[in-house]
Amino acid sequence: MLKMNGEKKRFFDDELDSSEDAKVNFDQSLQNSESFLFSENSISKQEDNDQSNIPTIEIPSDPKDEFIADLRSVIPEMSLPVAEELYERFHKSEDNISNALTYYFENYNDTNSLKTQELPSSPFSSRSSTRNSSVNSSSHEGSPVTHKRGKGYGFRREKRLKANIQWKRFVGALQVTCMATRPTVRPLKYGSELSFTKSVSNLSPSKLYDSYGRRKTKMSNYVRVFDSQLNREIGRVPEDIAQIVYPLIGKNEISFEATLIFCDNKRLSIGDTFVVQLDCFLTSAIFEEKKPDKKPTTNHSANEWGNSRKTIVETDEELQNRSRMVALISLFDKLKINPVTDENAILEKLNSGIDDQGEVIDLEDDKSFNELMSQDYEEQGMTQHHEDSMNLNQLKTFYNAAQSLESLKNLPETEPSKDVFKLDLRRYQKQGLTWMLRREREFAKAASDGKDPEIDGNLMNPLWKQFKWPKDMSWAAQKLSGSSILVDSDIFFYANLHTGEFSVNKPVLKTMMKGGLLSDEMGLGKTVSTLSLILTCPHDSDVVDKTLFKEDNDDEIIGKSVKKPYASRTTLIVVPMSLLNQWSSEFTKANNSPDMRSEIYYGGNVSSLKKLLTATGNPPTVVITTYGIVQSEWLKLSKTKMNSGDIQASTGLFSVDFYRVVIDEGHTIRNRTTATSKAIMELTSKCRWILTGTPIINRLDDLYSMVKFLQLEPWSQISYWKMFVSTPFENKNFRQAFDVVNAILEPVLLRRTKQMKDIDGKPLVELPPKEIVVERIKLNKTQNAVYKYLLNRAESSVQSGLARGDLLKKYSTILVHILRLRQVCCDVALLGAQDENDEDLSQGNKIVNDSKELDDLIAQTNKENQSGGFTEEELAKAIADIQQKYENSEKFRSLECSICTTEPINVENVVFTECGHPFCENCLDEYFAFQSQKKLDFNCPNCREGISPSRLLTLYKDESQSLLLKHYDNDPKSAKVGALLNHLKLLQDTSAGEQVVVFSQFSSYLDILERELTEALPADSSKVYKFDGRLSLKERSVVLQDFQVKDLSRQKILLLSLKAGGVGLNLTCASQAYMMDPWWSPSMEDQAIDRIHRIGQTNNVKVVRFIVENSIEEKMLRIQERKRTIGEAMDADEDERRKRRIEEIKMLFE
Amino acid sequence: MASLPKRIIKETERLISDPVPGITAEPHDDNLRYFNVTVEGPTQSPYENGIFKLELYLPDDYPMEAPKVRFLTKIYHPNIDRLGRICLDVLKTNWSPALQIRTVLLSIQALLASPNPNDPLANDVAEDWIKNEEAAKAKAREWTQLYAKKVDDN
Repeated sequence: MLKMNGEKKRFFDDELDSSEDAKVNFDQSLQNSESFLFSENSISKQEDNDQSNIPTIEIPSDPKDEFIADLRSVIPEMSLPVAEELYERFHKSEDNISNALTYYFENYNDTNSLKTQELPSSPFSSRSSTRNSSVNSSSHEGSPVTHKRGKGYGFRREKRLKANIQWKRFVGALQVTCMATRPTVRPLKYGSELSFTKSVSNLSPSKLYDSYGRRKTKMSNYVRVFDSQLNREIGRVPEDIAQIVYPLIGKNEISFEATLIFCDNKRLSIGDTFVVQLDCFLTSAIFEEKKPDKKPTTNHSANEWGNSRKTIVETDEELQNRSRMVALISLFDKLKINPVTDENAILEKLNSGIDDQGEVIDLEDDKSFNELMSQDYEEQGMTQHHEDSMNLNQLKTFYNAAQSLESLKNLPETEPSKDVFKLDLRRYQKQGLTWMLRREREFAKAASDGKDPEIDGNLMNPLWKQFKWPKDMSWAAQKLSGSSILVDSDIFFYANLHTGEFSVNKPVLKTMMKGGLLSDEMGLGKTVSTLSLILTCPHDSDVVDKTLFKEDNDDEIIGKSVKKPYASRTTLIVVPMSLLNQWSSEFTKANNSPDMRSEIYYGGNVSSLKKLLTATGNPPTVVITTYGIVQSEWLKLSKTKMNSGDIQASTGLFSVDFYRVVIDEGHTIRNRTTATSKAIMELTSKCRWILTGTPIINRLDDLYSMVKFLQLEPWSQISYWKMFVSTPFENKNFRQAFDVVNAILEPVLLRRTKQMKDIDGKPLVELPPKEIVVERIKLNKTQNAVYKYLLNRAESSVQSGLARGDLLKKYSTILVHILRLRQVCCDVALLGAQDENDEDLSQGNKIVNDSKELDDLIAQTNKENQSGGFTEEELAKAIADIQQKYENSEKFRSLECSICTTEPINVENVVFTECGHPFCENCLDEYFAFQSQKKLDFNCPNCREGISPSRLLTLYKDESQSLLLKHYDNDPKSAKVGALLNHLKLLQDTSAGEQVVVFSQFSSYLDILERELTEALPADSSKVYKFDGRLSLKERSVVLQDFQVKDLSRQKILLLSLKAGGVGLNLTCASQAYMMDPWWSPSMEDQAIDRIHRIGQTNNVKVVRFIVENSIEEKMLRIQERKRTIGEAMDADEDERRKRRIEEIKMLFE
Repeated sequence: MASLPKRIIKETERLISDPVPGITAEPHDDNLRYFNVTVEGPTQSPYENGIFKLELYLPDDYPMEAPKVRFLTKIYHPNIDRLGRICLDVLKTNWSPALQIRTVLLSIQALLASPNPNDPLANDVAEDWIKNEEAAKAKAREWTQLYAKKVDDN
């Protein structure tokens, strides 16, 4: 408000007063020109006119002495005669000292050869106005206007005004060619002071920007060049300058001084051009620390609680902030101030006395001038920072960089005490423990390498750039002081061009939160590492037990306003349900201390968690719970919150402050709009850890949830994240986005991969080799017929979609078609089965309703298969013959297969030839297959009688368990089941008791497999387990435990649903896996394989993938291949995704 | 190498535990599908008192495919050529997966007992055999003495 007073005063001052006023202003000018040279000690007059005690307001006793003293304070070497002459010349003029100095420089100081001197100089005497050193270049504005605007800016404005501007410092100058908009009576004087101002002072940002934050109108409409003296508009500035200047005018962060340097010495008519030197100064205000919490975060989080799905719209304030930021970047671009890359080189240069000459940038010479004029706001703003788009390889580079290998290698190893930790850690796990302990600031417990353990150290925040103060080449400096003296105290300043924040001090990266993101690749033992951390640091050492009880009691008394009780001795581990027991047993395995125990918190088995954790003498060290529990407690809580407004949870997970929270498979929370994610965010603790092998599943924004959970300020605020990561990424400014992500994560992320080498150059993990074989399979007749039928329908559907161009509208229908085809590849019986993982297809199911036709088709092909079979009479005769051959049906139980020499043949598998010889079903199948492949006849192996696959008999049990003969249906098994059975049999023969894992994504297929395998395999030599989402927690652990016990006499087969068991499970007891069907995403398959191919696996791993020949499955393999190369992480762009989907569909049906 | 089916293991075990008289078959240590075989010349045949070495190999498709058998010991026989290849129906077209190593070797032994010059493999031998059976048999005996003599010491 002081400033306004100053302005007001001047505005209404009459001519008589102006001399005095001018003098004051001049002194300010002096002060200011000094101030950026001797930055600390002077204070801008403009701001503190009335309050400051700077003695310039005192009336001098002798005007002449005072005048000379003033001159000499500027130019100490000025001789007395010269000074006296100047006094004579100028003491009557309004602006005496300034004019005197101008005159002095132009007439006495020959050495000062300036570029501007080429321009015709105006007579100095007519330079009537003082140089306005005001921070606010729009000094002509009356206070009412300013006041109005102040309102518009809200609290920001007020905050600014409170700030004192201590000093300002030159950063560069531009020559601006302006266009006259008003004719002038006389030519403008060389060196006249001009100012830039907004033509409409209180323009709502919505007028300037559309909802996407893009500029709607030309900024040049709103910026005017004023003659400061006459307070009269004279012209406009070019658009590019206007874009820079407009958002910055009226803020005290940047000060502009405009001086007329060329108008061809004639009066201006409308449309004439004139040249203005625009000196730009950074003021102290810009360097003042802004509190990030001024950002509307509190509002956001409040909103998010109730109203989460709304995307955040940029507020006016944010818009203004952003335009300011872009303007700053553009300005820096224009001024050609480039970040310092080599600090030392510059320092050296300075010491040796060489310095780059700052130059006035002549825009006319700038080739890009015209281009820039026409370019759009964003592009222009980003020119300096624009990078070519980034491909996946670069993304990988980013990942690699994020690992900062060297520092990892050199991490010392912390050996957990044997008193608490039973297992042996691998070397890198010990290093990981060191890192984790350091992240929790437990330096005493971590091994030390003698270096300063503070990792964050002196690292400059990479978002910030270092700049060198340029030499002062401003008009004022050149005209008034001739040469500038650089004070070496401040050679550099720092700017964050992403936020528009400035600092004179080196911005040091600080991450205060405890915890981090352990992102080791799958199978490197994240669980064990975490347990070693927990057991090494089981409770908060800052908290002494006794206070605990006290605190708790206090809570009871004071009630809900009090902080949650602190469970300082407990770590909460949140895991997917399938891992609950695994964590628990791993804990038991690792724990070596009788005082520590773990508790599973699931399904209400703990009545009062709060009491258990905070009010008992020996709370569990670890509480393990599931995402589901956290979510449901949270939902309950938010419901009561809605109703009663009671914020404090009285019981459950949200009622206590944990010492540490660990979320396993942390990518579960990647979508921050899900209830699970929101619930997890609300857990409170002192240390927070995320474990995940795949921090990014689909898009870069997946990381945001991690950052939010870790409470990495300020990135955990969505507005920051959007501004620095999402938006640049969407704008294809990948480099910037990754830079930022890198900067955010580097200190908190630890990622090791299996390929990495330790300090001795050995791989971190040496796993036995794994072999993945694709086995191509032919469909059986029925499958083939159904497949062809469905393929035709699907193709025509896709073709018509492509022709009409609305392929994606029919996307769900096509997905159903594709699903159908994939199902047939597995088993015809799967058709129509509703897969729980594909609920969204139920709609489409109706669209592709073809059950009737399909049934007919299946029936028909079945009939075809039977052709050449028995007639009724023949069948009866064959049965009779065989029955005659064997005296009673008990003999059927002790048959020998002459092909595989198995004895006895499992009655369920017996097949009789017409001639009455028994064989195993599979052996005979194999025989038929071999003979037909060699184009040989089918003869009974025993008697060489001709036989036919359709004229076979088999046994069945009637109600009384006696065995009877019936016709053998020769095409009952789908191709894959047959292939799987062959593999299983072979495996059983060669390596007895070997456990086998069979993966499928269709849980209904698992049901079919379960049935088929149990039927086909003798119960005494094999056992089939099934593990899918329908199992309860208890059943899961029973299944897994039983499966893991090796039994040499029995082949254990685990049918595993990908969705339920794809993550986390440790199945190293098995070394053979079969993939029944391919997945779209290769990483999902890799995940599945890693269930068995991980630490602890001692055997060679063999994986067989069954792929039906010439089918959609083969094409899926190709798409997988493609995904591997293009990468899935780059799916950020919706358009791109659509395009790719269409391509994929085309690939499937070409 | 494909893993060993149960049937082969079973057969091998039985060949060792319950050998056929006059026949031995032992698998190689490094390849269990490869057998060293000896067959004694049947009594009352020109090959009596001879011990004939053979090699037997079970192909991957065994038992769908017949084993490959060859004489290593030189033998004068119309159905066995100079390379030791054997002309025997069960090894070719009449193979059936119900047959086993044991049955194949018995068939070979039987072939020694009753040569069949009408379905010859070694044509010159067969001609001799038809022209002058006694002379041929004498030559066979001679060869047996020469090449397949039982070495008692070893």
